[in-house]
Amino acid sequence: MIKLDNVTKVYNGEVTALRDASFDVPKGEFVFLVGASGSGKSTLLRLINKQEDPQKGEVWVAGKSINDLPSHKVPYLRRNIGSIFQDYKLLANKTVFENVAFALEVIGRPKHVIRQQVPAILELVGLAGKQDRFPHQLSGGEQQRVSIARAFVNRPLILLADEPTGNLDPATSEGIMRLLDRINKTGTTVVMATHDTKIVNMMRRRVIELDRGVIVRDQARGVYE
Amino acid sequence: MFSRLGYMLRETGASLRRNLTLTLASLLTVVVSLALLGTALLVQRAVDNLLKRWEGGVEFIVFMNPDATQDQIDAVQADLEDNPQVDKVTFFDKQQAYDEFKRLYPDTPELVEALTPEQMPTSFRVVPADADSDLIEAIGSQFERKPGVFAVEYAKKAVDWIRTVSSFLRWGSLVAAVVLGVGAVMLIWNTIRTAMFARRREIEVMKLVGATNWFIRVPFMLEGLVQGLIGAVLAVGGVWAARQFWESRVIQSVSITELQQLQVTSAQFTGVALLLLVAGALVGAVGSGIAVTRFLDV
Repeated sequence: MIKLDNVTKVYNGEVTALRDASFDVPKGEFVFLVGASGSGKSTLLRLINKQEDPQKGEVWVAGKSINDLPSHKVPYLRRNIGSIFQDYKLLANKTVFENVAFALEVIGRPKHVIRQQVPAILELVGLAGKQDRFPHQLSGGEQQRVSIARAFVNRPLILLADEPTGNLDPATSEGIMRLLDRINKTGTTVVMATHDTKIVNMMRRRVIELDRGVIVRDQARGVYE
Repeated sequence: MFSRLGYMLRETGASLRRNLTLTLASLLTVVVSLALLGTALLVQRAVDNLLKRWEGGVEFIVFMNPDATQDQIDAVQADLEDNPQVDKVTFFDKQQAYDEFKRLYPDTPELVEALTPEQMPTSFRVVPADADSDLIEAIGSQFERKPGVFAVEYAKKAVDWIRTVSSFLRWGSLVAAVVLGVGAVMLIWNTIRTAMFARRREIEVMKLVGATNWFIRVPFMLEGLVQGLIGAVLAVGGVWAARQFWESRVIQSVSITELQQLQVTSAQFTGVALLLLVAGALVGAVGSGIAVTRFLDV
């Protein structure tokens, strides 16, 4: 589903964020990306949804190389990839419903479809009944669930998570992880960058460790160390 | 589909209102620049209307009395044609004179109705061999005292000053229109940039969930289009008011001067008005479309 082949990414000709990275993620796998700040985790995620392009090497998504993907086709790549972030990236002046519906509006889904799918996904993530609230009226965990709902409403092939529990307490983080696990069990490939040792140790999934841009460990059923 | 359009227009209105000063500044520039453009175009058309009579190198016109006899007319014609310094002579009969009169004063029907073709003078349109003004006057003055001749009108006296003034007016307003047009585009540019900055979070999310560039562009282009269109409508209003003023004060005045021939038909005015509307909408939409693309960097 996701494959990196000797990928090197350099910012501004000076900072090497990723050096010669290679790995292969089959469909349906759950992968943790661990490492210190600046080790290249976010860069790696950004390479997958083509927010960045590599200087060297090739990136493959769903069996196709995306290096030479023309910019007008990039939106269609991104519709197959759901993304969630540490800061949730919700729109403050839209309700929960509108935030999630946004992902459907943008791809042109008709109103009646939106009115069906949004409540369904909100129920799935555990936010039934909160669809008319605004983000500032929700807790951190609830906001992240809204983000997850938005990322997952189109049933993408891949879910990228960049430190999703970074701003959450341990109990809430666990809840989010259980949700991500459920999503993974539906067949969605999940790649999650994180600092959270507890969670990594708890889940025992494949762990790819980065150190200053280099992959130093790629272990199935690994721990944070 | 219409609910989407309504939603988009409401969002556009809200966005424009959010930065009212900038919006008004760009609107004002659009209005003034388009109004100047419109005026330049109308002046050009009016002058063309006026000069029609003098086209083809006609330098003087010999007007016969409305009640001149056929012999007198023939005599004058013969004299003109025999004159070696005359290149071409064209005769305008009463109906032609009446038609021309109708064309010269398109928006003063009362004036036209007051006369009949019978009352119109016939005339000879003369193209001299040499465009020397002294020479022309010399030839013309010969005919002024001929029997049956009402008057001799010279291109130089009648229209030269208008030609100069209108040329100046036209180029002046065109230059001003272009300069202001550039200013207007820059202000629209800035309005869009500000709007995009205000909506940067939304745009970021749009890019992440896979909105196409056009989906992101269209609301901003709509904003530009609305600004351009409103500006054009106001400009058309301004030009219309100017024309009304011109017609009520200058044209309807009691004394009859050449200035009164500086008119445009309603059709010509409508043509210019439509042009302004299209120009405003296009500049607004295209300008903002380009601005969005530049700042989008997907």
